[in-house]
Amino acid sequence: MPPKGTVRCRLGGDELERHVTRLYGAGATRALVGYVPMYCWSSFTEVYLLREELLEAVEKVLNSGRVPYSAGLYAGRLRRSRPIFIPSHLLVERVYGVLGKYVRAFEAAEQGVRVVLYGRDLLKSSTLRCFEPLEVGEVVSVVGTDGRVYALGLSEVGSCSELEKLRAEDAVARVVFDLGWYLRGGTVARERKYRV
Amino acid sequence: MPSYTDALSSVWGRIRSSTSSRVEEVASSYGYLSYMVTRYLEMLSSWEEVIELLKAFERDLVRSIRVNTLRFGDPREVIERLEALGYSFTPVPWERYSYTVVRSGRVPLGATHEFLLGGYYLYRGLASLLPPLALRPTDSDRVLDVAAAPGGKTTHIAQLMEGRGLVVAVDVDRERFRALRSNLERMGVENVVALRMDGRLVPKVFGRFFTKALLDAPCTGEGLIQLDKSRKVKTSFDDLVRAHRLQVELLKATVEAVAPGGLVLYSTCSIAPEEDEFTVAEVLESSSRVEVVNLPLELDLLPGLSEYFRVRLPEDLRRCRRIYPHKHGMEGFFLCLLRVL
Repeated sequence: MPPKGTVRCRLGGDELERHVTRLYGAGATRALVGYVPMYCWSSFTEVYLLREELLEAVEKVLNSGRVPYSAGLYAGRLRRSRPIFIPSHLLVERVYGVLGKYVRAFEAAEQGVRVVLYGRDLLKSSTLRCFEPLEVGEVVSVVGTDGRVYALGLSEVGSCSELEKLRAEDAVARVVFDLGWYLRGGTVARERKYRV
Repeated sequence: MPSYTDALSSVWGRIRSSTSSRVEEVASSYGYLSYMVTRYLEMLSSWEEVIELLKAFERDLVRSIRVNTLRFGDPREVIERLEALGYSFTPVPWERYSYTVVRSGRVPLGATHEFLLGGYYLYRGLASLLPPLALRPTDSDRVLDVAAAPGGKTTHIAQLMEGRGLVVAVDVDRERFRALRSNLERMGVENVVALRMDGRLVPKVFGRFFTKALLDAPCTGEGLIQLDKSRKVKTSFDDLVRAHRLQVELLKATVEAVAPGGLVLYSTCSIAPEEDEFTVAEVLESSSRVEVVNLPLELDLLPGLSEYFRVRLPEDLRRCRRIYPHKHGMEGFFLCLLRVL
């Protein structure tokens, strides 16, 4: 939920679907089937995916003049500047599940995952594999060898072939969210969720 | 006829008049306020048991984890990953997803990759696993969870419902709510609506919308002295009465939000009858909408009290269950299941 100002929420809308299609292709929207998106906004917009069973309760909350703090599956954040959509790791894992492959991803070695979980960038030396498409400054996932998404970052390269030009100590992804946040900042306001 | 809340003032008078030199001596020896020891003697009836309780409060609680099958389909995957870090576990016999920690590993349990991936919830005692089990939520239920933060029971309920149905989790505390949101997100729970509001206002928003409800009430934590030794001296009888009054209001509101035929599970991490039987008794007396029913738990727990410092409590309260550290190897706890009529 946005931390400041009046928060408003609405059910339905196609912004999420458009961003998922833009980032991961039309087939990725299968990850959204069976859910209704809920958008809650103030200075930025948080997106949640709600199953039908949740809708009546959410409507009761909205009709009472309140807003849920969170509801359903957290899908990510819409922003006014680039990157205009940062998907949650939960949504990205679902997208990879329906696609049966990684896209916009770097697979990190164990050492790289450990470093990323401290909020540091992913370096070329810790990158095992690269998955297209990539765009400089656009969202990319850091996946472990166990298939789990450990972080979301912004790509420093426009294609996997550009990795060849980097030195071992160069960053391939600038991490904007990592699961270590649940340890460092999940319970207190001392750290912003997204470092962008 | 005075209410059970009113009767607490006569309880206090009897506590003071019952405080003996033996009570003072034992309280001083273990570092407690003497009124607490007087009450333990009333609850347990023998000095031998009181001493056992006080000794049990000195021991550490058994740590445990509940593997989150919403993120990891097979609990063995999480256990094997943690075993590779040096951990050793034994299964909790009455909770199929939970394991007690036998040996610790190289990385703290709250900092492993598996924790961050939402693979498990970490408990400092086993009794917290019982309220969701006693409520028996199914995927067709609409469950209300009042005073839900930080979310251990909420995520457990969601898991028992296999991520389907509806859970509305309510809490008023801003800091604790952050922890709830964090746990819901970390554990990939998708059937919860989290609402930061005073639980007493829930019926105004939802009416009698829910089929089941859990109120794990805010309490003085008199069952958690193992975790926080300051609880031996920091709670006055007036604090207990204040907690009782809030609990009564929350329980009344929780009952009011449940449809006829539904169930309400009331629990506290306290062994204080003032927060347990007296709270339920007060709600039973003021409402004809609820009755106490047996808990569907196959554990050998102790019945609720039916008398306390000469105050007769409803006989039905014997269907509630008390958990004592010296008897059950868990934190002190109270559970009571109510059916809404």
